[in-house]
Amino acid sequence: MASSGCWKCLARPSGSLTSQLALRTPGVSAAFSTTTARAALPIKAKKPSQARPALKAKGSKTLRIKKKAPAKPSGKPPMPGERKAMRKRIVLSNTNALEVPMMDFNEHMVADPTMAGKVVALPGEVVDSLRAVEAFKVNQGWGLFRKPALLLREESAVLGQKMVAAEKNKEAVRLVIDGERGSGKSLMLLHALSAAFLRGWIVLSIPEAQDLCNASTEYAPLPGTNPTIYTQNVYTANFLAQIQKSNSVLQTLHVTKSHNLPIPLPEKTTLARLCELGARDPDISWPIFQAFWAEITGPARPPVLFTLDSLSFTMGLSAYRSASYELIHAHDLALVQHFVTYLSGEKPLPNGGAILGATSRSHAPVSASLELALKQALEKQQHGEIMTKKDPYGKKYDTRAEDKLKSVEVLKLKGLSKVEARGLMEYWAQSGLLRSRVDERLVTEKWALAGNGIVGEIERGVLRMRI
Amino acid sequence: MVFILGNTFHESQLLKKCLESFYGIGHQSSSRIMAKFHIFPRAKVGSLPNKTILAITAELSTMKIENELRRQLRENLSRLRDMGSYRGRRHAMGLPVRGQRTRSQITTARKLNRVDRIG
Repeated sequence: MASSGCWKCLARPSGSLTSQLALRTPGVSAAFSTTTARAALPIKAKKPSQARPALKAKGSKTLRIKKKAPAKPSGKPPMPGERKAMRKRIVLSNTNALEVPMMDFNEHMVADPTMAGKVVALPGEVVDSLRAVEAFKVNQGWGLFRKPALLLREESAVLGQKMVAAEKNKEAVRLVIDGERGSGKSLMLLHALSAAFLRGWIVLSIPEAQDLCNASTEYAPLPGTNPTIYTQNVYTANFLAQIQKSNSVLQTLHVTKSHNLPIPLPEKTTLARLCELGARDPDISWPIFQAFWAEITGPARPPVLFTLDSLSFTMGLSAYRSASYELIHAHDLALVQHFVTYLSGEKPLPNGGAILGATSRSHAPVSASLELALKQALEKQQHGEIMTKKDPYGKKYDTRAEDKLKSVEVLKLKGLSKVEARGLMEYWAQSGLLRSRVDERLVTEKWALAGNGIVGEIERGVLRMRI
Repeated sequence: MVFILGNTFHESQLLKKCLESFYGIGHQSSSRIMAKFHIFPRAKVGSLPNKTILAITAELSTMKIENELRRQLRENLSRLRDMGSYRGRRHAMGLPVRGQRTRSQITTARKLNRVDRIG
């Protein structure tokens, strides 16, 4: 048998060799050799902790399967209404933003098409009025800038021209502002409101039609009406308070007609006082509103602007129920009916003025009739004839809404032009919010990324996005 | 504090919740009662005039709710029992009534199926 060892074995000891060597070396614990044992450190006694942990005493902490108990809130919880106030808080100034030298918005700029693309500051008293009518909304980013300012657009000049013409000819502009989500519909309303305040109009504004129609405020049937009309007294009282607070012109106007009101009205009552009386007592707010409207549409009064945002909430059934448990149509709510009657042109505005509605494209019900009416009105304006027909099998149409929207005009908002986008971005850069240099390249890039200049998207891409 | 049908409720409570706290009133009945008196769904009891509260109480007193409804339920069960029907017997024995198996999982039946059922 050939040995497993070869000539290499001489160089490297094989396994068998080493084991033999190991056997011959005296072990450390060998009893007969004490030398190494003495030189070594004494063997430590095993600590109990190093050994397997002994069973713990009963009741001590062991494995916890449950998650930690939720942390107890420190401090006191917010008072009733505090959270809502926080949610609805409007911040209009940011002291960290830089002051931008710009012109104040005035009544001559309202209809000036050469101002397109310029950003103008809103004067202080207009800001107060706009705040009173809740024209500023929480998600509009007012809190980023030093003071509220407005971009003048081509469309705003068009609207301004219509308003000025209406004031001159004592006619009513009946207009629905429509456009994609983020195209500046609510801000167009704000532009109209501020223009009206500057020109001394009487302004009424329903900031959100949803509040009227989604059954979140009191309602009551109006006695002696058939079909029944429902008034919303608390909302109307608050509405009158807003009108009184925002329109300083009412201080100078006096009641001239005699009204059949539940409270006695002294001679020479100002309209501001009339509104205050209605705001104080919700039960009489609706008759007072009617009296107020009769007064402001009387002879020799300033023009009236009446606006409503989120129009589609008013073009269908509301969430209120009648006594027989049927859903009430939004047009049976007194305030909505009042607005819609004037929007449809059934009743004229003798002193001129404007009735403006704006659609909402982010959180609003889809009203098939409103969509159709807007489309047809736009076609009529652009091509002179209606091309889209009503779907003969469509069941979602609302005949009452159709009736009211027949003759309404549409202002379709598109994206900003590049000049306007540049004006806006330069304003942002001057405010210190946009750090890069505003040049042709940047403007074109942001304009294109924002779906050809949808202003809300430009803002999102430039101001809000952090990469 | 607001009194509705002998019960007291805090002013900050929703009327809908208050109505639904009565045995025999659920979403349907409470919504219908509220619609009848033109009260919006988010109304708080404290905000309602006394007249409306009285009218609601009057409306509730005409309805078969609370003890009257409980009594009716017990009467129905005892009728089944007296007839000697299967359903009556099962109720009396505290067992499932509608053919469920009884090998396991009959705790709900044990708890609820009694001739003198509370509600």
